[in-house]
Amino acid sequence: MAGGLSLYSEGTSLLHRAHPLTKGVLTLSAVALAFIVPSVGWVLVLAIVLLVLITLAGVLKRLLAVALAIVVPITLLLLAVQGFANPNNRTVVFALGPIVYFREGLAIAALAALRIACLVGATFLFSFTTRPADISEALMQRGLSPRMGYVLQSALQIIPQTLDMAGRIQDAQRARGLETEGSLPRRARAYLPLMLPLVLSSLVATQERAMALEVRGFGLRVKRLSRYEFVDTTAQRMLRWVMALAVPGAIAARIAGWR
Amino acid sequence: MGHGSGCTRSHRRANCGLALTEPALVFDGVSYAYEETPREAVSDISFSIATGEWVGMTGPTNAGKSTLCLLAMGLAPHFFGGRLKGSVVAFGRDSRTVPVIERSSEVGLLFQNPFTQISGARERVDDEVAFGPECHGLPRRVVAQRVEDAMRQVGISHLAARHPLDLSGGQLQRLALAGLLAMEPKLLLLDEPTSQLDPAGTAAIFEVLAGLHERGVTIVMVEHRLETLCELCPRIVAMVAGRVLADGPPEDVFNRQVVQERVGLPVFTRLARDAGLPAPWPVRLSDSTAAFRNPVA
Repeated sequence: MAGGLSLYSEGTSLLHRAHPLTKGVLTLSAVALAFIVPSVGWVLVLAIVLLVLITLAGVLKRLLAVALAIVVPITLLLLAVQGFANPNNRTVVFALGPIVYFREGLAIAALAALRIACLVGATFLFSFTTRPADISEALMQRGLSPRMGYVLQSALQIIPQTLDMAGRIQDAQRARGLETEGSLPRRARAYLPLMLPLVLSSLVATQERAMALEVRGFGLRVKRLSRYEFVDTTAQRMLRWVMALAVPGAIAARIAGWR
Repeated sequence: MGHGSGCTRSHRRANCGLALTEPALVFDGVSYAYEETPREAVSDISFSIATGEWVGMTGPTNAGKSTLCLLAMGLAPHFFGGRLKGSVVAFGRDSRTVPVIERSSEVGLLFQNPFTQISGARERVDDEVAFGPECHGLPRRVVAQRVEDAMRQVGISHLAARHPLDLSGGQLQRLALAGLLAMEPKLLLLDEPTSQLDPAGTAAIFEVLAGLHERGVTIVMVEHRLETLCELCPRIVAMVAGRVLADGPPEDVFNRQVVQERVGLPVFTRLARDAGLPAPWPVRLSDSTAAFRNPVA
């Protein structure tokens, strides 16, 4: 069977132990700031801070493996498109016959690539150090209704569960002689005998699960307590406020002429 | 079938269970038909299960066993709608007046399919076990203790950090049972609780159930393995086509010709009958051994 979609990596670092809301605010603020600050220098500072946090969290190797696969192709594309074809290009960096590469395009591409690197780095840092269930759990402890929390938690489980069910149905249909491989028309013909049982099984499973949830007391009007207690310190609360206020602050500064 | 329990059936009946006094579950003239179905799934059911009893239910497919479990839990008619005649009373409260989620504090139902018993929202086995107690608003310390106890009882403590979807069918069945045990219900309704387990796993689960029975938990268990039922349950309810065919101790139930014809009979009973031993035929391994050693008696 397939597991969940979680990218969480077990660990005991400061970031692993931090309150999920702190990590959520840090991530959102870091991503927002990366796209608000005006220059490569500021984005570079942000990228370095993220790199330090990634290293401290002990997920550098794993993060590089996935992040580079996303960032490198995008960066190469940006460098090529902007360096060769940006309409504001003026200053030549190098020329190979008719192919001319410009400094203005390079600067724009570098800024955009760094911003994307920050976006990818911050998102993966959050994913690697935070269980998805912890986010909804922390939100429920802050007043989110258990029903909405359940929807958040189960949303991440639906895809692997459906894939698992589809795999089992496909195996069963193959065992009965259905050809699911080969030419496009053949695969198209096999689609209906796979989809119909999948949809019906999903409906039946949904009904049974709804029953099972009632049987387990889901929806009781009592104060629900999670067995997890997320440590929230004054320092973390202050950090959340600082980061949250930094975003509108940066926007205001940009409007005021920060370049 | 040996179950490794330290408390044999007769021993359990004599000393282990609580005094069988107050009824845990009463079916009084119950007939029920699912919505938009003309035929009744169960008809004219009347019996009472005392607190602390362990009752086995058996019968062929479509006998109405699972429907009785749904009625006892209150899912029928609360969840399914349909037409209910008569009354189903658990611990003194009529199922019509008690919502299922309220009843879940004292009655637990284990479904046939363990995959749908899990919440589908938790990423760890221990979190999944904690789901029910958390929904009931139990204190954090109590939840942690119950989760630990339930996982230990069904033998899945070593799987605590695993994702529920990564478990095998048997492990998932244990997880579903652990989730139920963590809620500490007074009445357990088990619809084929070991259908996906291997013999060792089955024996381990029955040992857990024996322990719960000793502590006074009332158990209603749907099971097709007649030998298992006879070994474990002091009382058997045999059903056919939505009606109770026989109700009583296993040796009485399986020595009735109508039960043998329509439900079947344990292998030991069949052996004794086919060997020409005089009736009543034994229904358990131990009784069977004694009967073959001393056939005249």
